[in-house]
Formats: sequence, structure tokens, C-alpha cells
Amino acid sequence: MQFRLSGDRIMSLKEFVTAKIGGKLTYDEFWALKNISFEVYKGEVFGIIGRNGSGKSTLLKVISGILKPTEGVVKCQGNVVPMLELGSGFDMDLTGRENIFLNGAILGYSEEFLRSEYDRILEFSELGHFIDVPIRNYSSGMLMRLAFSIATMVNPQILIVDEILAVGDEAFQKKSRDRMMQLMSGGTTVLFVSHNLSQIKELCDRVLWLDGGGVRMLDLADLVCDSYEI
Amino acid sequence: MKPNINWLISKVENNLALNQRTLKIYSKILVIGYLLMSVIFYFLAGEQLHFRESRENINMQTANSGTVELTSGSLAEQTFINNIQRITSVSVAWGTYNRHNKGTVYIDVYELNGNIQIMHQELSAGEITEGYISTFTFEKPVEGLTGAPLLLKITADSMPGSAVSPLMNTAASKDGFLLSLNGNSVPGMLCFSVKGEDYIWIGLHYWKFVVVGAFLLVFYILVTLHSIKNGKKPLLFMALVAIRKYRFLIRQLVARDFKAKYKRSFFGILWSFLNPLLTMLVQYLVFSNLFRFDIPYYSVYLLCGIVIFNYFSEACGMTLNSIVGNASLITKVYVPKYIYPLTRVISSFINLLIAMVPLLIVTFASGLYPTKAYLLLPFVLVCLAVFCLGLGMLLASAMVFFRDMQFLWGVISMVWMYLTPLFYPESILPSSVAILLKGNPLYYFIKFVRACVMDGISPEPIMYVLCFFFAVISILLGAFVFKKTQDRFVLYL
Repeated sequence: MQFRLSGDRIMSLKEFVTAKIGGKLTYDEFWALKNISFEVYKGEVFGIIGRNGSGKSTLLKVISGILKPTEGVVKCQGNVVPMLELGSGFDMDLTGRENIFLNGAILGYSEEFLRSEYDRILEFSELGHFIDVPIRNYSSGMLMRLAFSIATMVNPQILIVDEILAVGDEAFQKKSRDRMMQLMSGGTTVLFVSHNLSQIKELCDRVLWLDGGGVRMLDLADLVCDSYEI
Repeated sequence: MKPNINWLISKVENNLALNQRTLKIYSKILVIGYLLMSVIFYFLAGEQLHFRESRENINMQTANSGTVELTSGSLAEQTFINNIQRITSVSVAWGTYNRHNKGTVYIDVYELNGNIQIMHQELSAGEITEGYISTFTFEKPVEGLTGAPLLLKITADSMPGSAVSPLMNTAASKDGFLLSLNGNSVPGMLCFSVKGEDYIWIGLHYWKFVVVGAFLLVFYILVTLHSIKNGKKPLLFMALVAIRKYRFLIRQLVARDFKAKYKRSFFGILWSFLNPLLTMLVQYLVFSNLFRFDIPYYSVYLLCGIVIFNYFSEACGMTLNSIVGNASLITKVYVPKYIYPLTRVISSFINLLIAMVPLLIVTFASGLYPTKAYLLLPFVLVCLAVFCLGLGMLLASAMVFFRDMQFLWGVISMVWMYLTPLFYPESILPSSVAILLKGNPLYYFIKFVRACVMDGISPEPIMYVLCFFFAVISILLGAFVFKKTQDRFVLYL
């Protein structure tokens, strides 16, 4: 994945033209990811670790199809559900109920699925009658609970997780962590980014260590985590 | 959890299998629909499919002189040549010497090659007032006179002192036009006009077009079905799959646009209805008092233009922002990016349909009643929507890379509005600007709507072709640019 970073971000036509004519348009080429090649097997929990800015999130975005790689290909067999951010596409003026359908549709759920799972989503989120209130009136905890309930109600073949999501108050945090564990252990292929090494050790079969946009190490979870900690 | 996964998987497979079988049903519906539409269109278009107002009409000269006092025995003869395929009427302008006249005026038209009389009409001189233009319509349009020398002969049986006089223009002259008064040839031209219709080529060959079209359609479907069988994925098939797959998402996004737009306003969705009505009211008051254009049913004329142009500017303005405005989604979830412009165009389209209601109300209130031509409106509205989608995709892509686009577009759409005859008649434009009109797609869309709503007839076939042509060009261009640039959107958001 290559980014072209120009000196200043050019945001206007005039700037672009004048810079182009003046020959001032230079790009610093920056490879956020380079020479990354690995396979993830079916049913595996695959961890990705690395320092900030090492390209973990970019990699997840490339795999989930949000970014298109400059070179190279990503092959996925099965439906991918990326859980990069909760509540994307929430509309503050709509009610919780309307947002369940909107957010669900954006995440690629079918209408029948949402209708049949609606009660479970509502029950899990513990929102009760607040579900018919516009979500701009929700507290941030309530918002996250709703978002989490929608996002985790699916059973994908490939799940992409950026940090284990534990949201809400203590009780709900436990509940959501359990739900995540349940999702990740249910035979689903999981790609999992975290800074929590103990969690990685506990959950992952293999771990990829990214450093400066390249692969530093790819091996069994314990081995990689041990060398990462040093 | 397990059965859930299986359920999802079987659902996906089901969808694909369904497509194999339903594709054939779709194809049949498509072909039958095409044939049905062709026949329905034939009847809806009616006369307008076959004839259009001739471009060779001879127009009336401005009068600057009288000819002779048309007493018994005097005569005015004007020879002329025309290229009208079906002559329907001849008009003559009269002077009366500002008095009341008596007697009868005779108007005859001859074809000079065979010396055949093709029209004989009488008119009571008493009915004629100063500057009166009398129009004589042929019982049946006369055909086959293109290029033939014709003679318009005017005589009367009035007494001197109570006779009228046909008017003339002393400076006008045209090849093959000769005016003689009482047998003496004089320079100038009689003030007369000849009107008629021409055959339309498409209309003459309509059924041939339909048959050829049907064959092409069947051929294309067979090729598509065949390549699907061979495991390829042709464009049509992919589009169908995408529509089935993202139907729900599109519906949700459109619903969001709607709910969010009016959520916190008191009148809510009524605004879609009130907006064009109020705009029209203001413009109607301004323009009908200030400028006084001589347009029959001015309020309808105005509202047709406003409704169509509002849709255009709203749809384009919204699609312009569709990518940048949904940045938070695009950078977090994968959804085909064309979904965003598409939903915006669809939600504005629903707005347009609501705005059609006040248009119809004003139309009825003005005394115009629905005709079968209304059934032709969906064609132009769909063409317009496709046109907006294409342009919108182009703008949305441009907007991602150059944020100046939104301000630029504001100016462009304003200039565009003034260049489109919304509130003024197209005839007031100077000829230099009128040329611009020929390349203005909105002009054709609006003209089409006005023909259906105001005249209650189908526009000429060429209008269908033009509307379709502009829509296709726009969507091809827009989709091409969008497809080329969409992978880089996310880097600039």
C-alpha cells in the first residue's frame, strides 16, 4: 500500500494548477505497507501486533476492502465483516429502531435477518423503551451499547476486529467481552488487532508482528509475543 | 450459532440460483414489455409521431403598405414556391382604409404547372377589420406541392369606396416570388403566410424501428444468457445482482435522507410540496407584473420549469456532497461507492414526484386537463434522473479532489438557471444565446414536460432521441470518471 503524501495537502483547483505549472508538486512516497504476504487459514484466530503507525489499521482496511492496495491483491473466501468502528452511519436524528435498520443495512445484513434478529439486538442492548427515542438524546454509553449490539449480532465467516470492544458500564463490559469471545471462538476466522499481549496470547493461534510497514515476525502466538516484549 | 451461519450461506446460494432461473423470466418480461411499450407509445404519440410543424413555413412579412383597393375586377396575384410537405393553411393580412366595407373577397390558390385550382375560399369584407389576418385552412392537407410554382390570387366584388385591400411589404423579395397587382408586376411581397406539416422520418419507419429494436434486444439477451451459462459475468447480470444485493441498503439510505431532512421541521414532508409552490408564487408575481411575457398559461409554464430545474439543482447539489458527506462511512465500511450518489438521486426523485402534485393542481386550476400525453412524462423524468446521476457522479468525484467544486457549482447552476427558459419565453433570447440553448439538455427536458402538460400532445420524436441521448452521454461520462477515481477517494477524505 503506497501513499503519496504531497508537501501540503492540495485541496483546491487553483493551488493544484499553480503548483503543477510551477513544478512544485512533489510527492514524498511513503509505503504504509510493503511486501506483506501471508495466509490465514479457515477457523484460525490471527493476531496482528505492532507499534503505533506500523500499519495495522491500514492492513485491516485493505483486507476489508475499504482501501485498495496500490499493488498486490487480497483474496477472501467468505463474507468479511469488519468491526473497525462501532456505529458508523448512525444518524443522530433517527430513533434507535430506525438506526438498527440503517446501520444493519450498511453493515450488509439482509432485511429478513434484521427483522428476525431485531428482538435479540434490542434485548442485548438493554435499551428498553428508549429504542424509540432519537439517538441524539442517548448518552455515549447507550450509543455504544446499541452500536455494539448491532455489530455483533452477525455470524460472519471472516471477522476483522480492531481491539476487543468492551463498552458501557462494568456489567455491560463483561457481557460484551463475553460476546466477543463467543464470536471469536465460534469457528469463525478472525483477524484481530490488539495492544493487549495477554489477550493475544490467550486467543490467537498465530501472530503477525508489523514494524514500519513490513513483516517483522510471523509465527505461533507465544513465540512472537515473547520476542515482542523484549 | 451454527444454524445461523448455514442459514446465511444457503441464503447467498439461493440468491445466485434464483438468478439463473429468474433471469429467463426477467428476459421474457423485458421483451414483452418492450413490445407492449412500443404499441402503447404508438398510440400515445399519435399524430406527433408522423408529422411536425414544417420548418419550411412561409412566414408573414411585416406590412408597410397596402396594395390595391380590391374592387370588382381588380386583382392581386402572388406567385410563390414552397417546400412544405403537407400544406394545411394560408393566411392573408388585410387593410380596410379604416372604414366599414362591403362585398365578398375570393381567395384562390392554383398550382401553375398543371393549372389546377387547389383552394377556393370566400370571405365577407364586412368581417375584416384593419390589420386583420384571415386564415384559410384546407379541408385536407395538400401534399406533393414542394417546389411547384403556386399562385395565390385575391379578387373581390366590392364597390369602390367600400373595398378592402390586402397588405404588402414593398422591400421584401424572395426567389420565385412575384407579386402583380391588376396584372402589373411590382416589387415587394404580399403579406401572407403558408403553414403546413412535414413527415417525420422516424414516424414513417416506426414499425421497422420497433422490429429491428426487438431483434437487437432478443439477440443481446441470448448472448447474455449464453455467457452466464459459460460462467462469465456480463455487465447486465452484475448490475442485476448488485441491485438485488443492495436494494435494502438503498432503501434505508433513501429513508434516512428523507427522515433526516424534515425530521425537526414543523411542516415536515409538506415542504417538498410547498417549496415549488411558493417559489412559483413569488416568481409568478414578479414576472407577470414586471415583465409581462406573452405566454398563455404562464403559471403552468413557469411551474413546469421550476419543478424540473429544482430537481436538477437539488439532485446535483446533493450528489456533489454524497461522497465527501459520507466520509465517515466510506473510511470505515466497505459499500460500493456508487450507492451514495444513487441514493441521493433517488431521494430527490421522490421529492420531484411530490412536487409534481402542486404542478398538477395549478394546471387543473388554470383550466388545462389531463390528456394521454401525461403517460409520456415518466420517460422524460427517468431520462432527467439518469442525466442528474451522471452529472452528479462527475461532480462528486471532482469534489473529492477539489473542494472548490461546491462553490463553483453554485455559480454554474445559477448561470445555468438563467440560460434556461424557465420564466421567460425562448423567443426573447438574442440569436447568439439561442445557440447555447441548443446544447442545453435541461432546455429539452423542460420543453418535453411543457409539451405534455401544456399542449397535451407528445413532443416530436427527435425530442425523445435528444433526451435519451443526453441522459446516456451523461451517465457514461459520469460513471467512467467515477470508476476511474473511486479507489483514490478514501485517500482524500
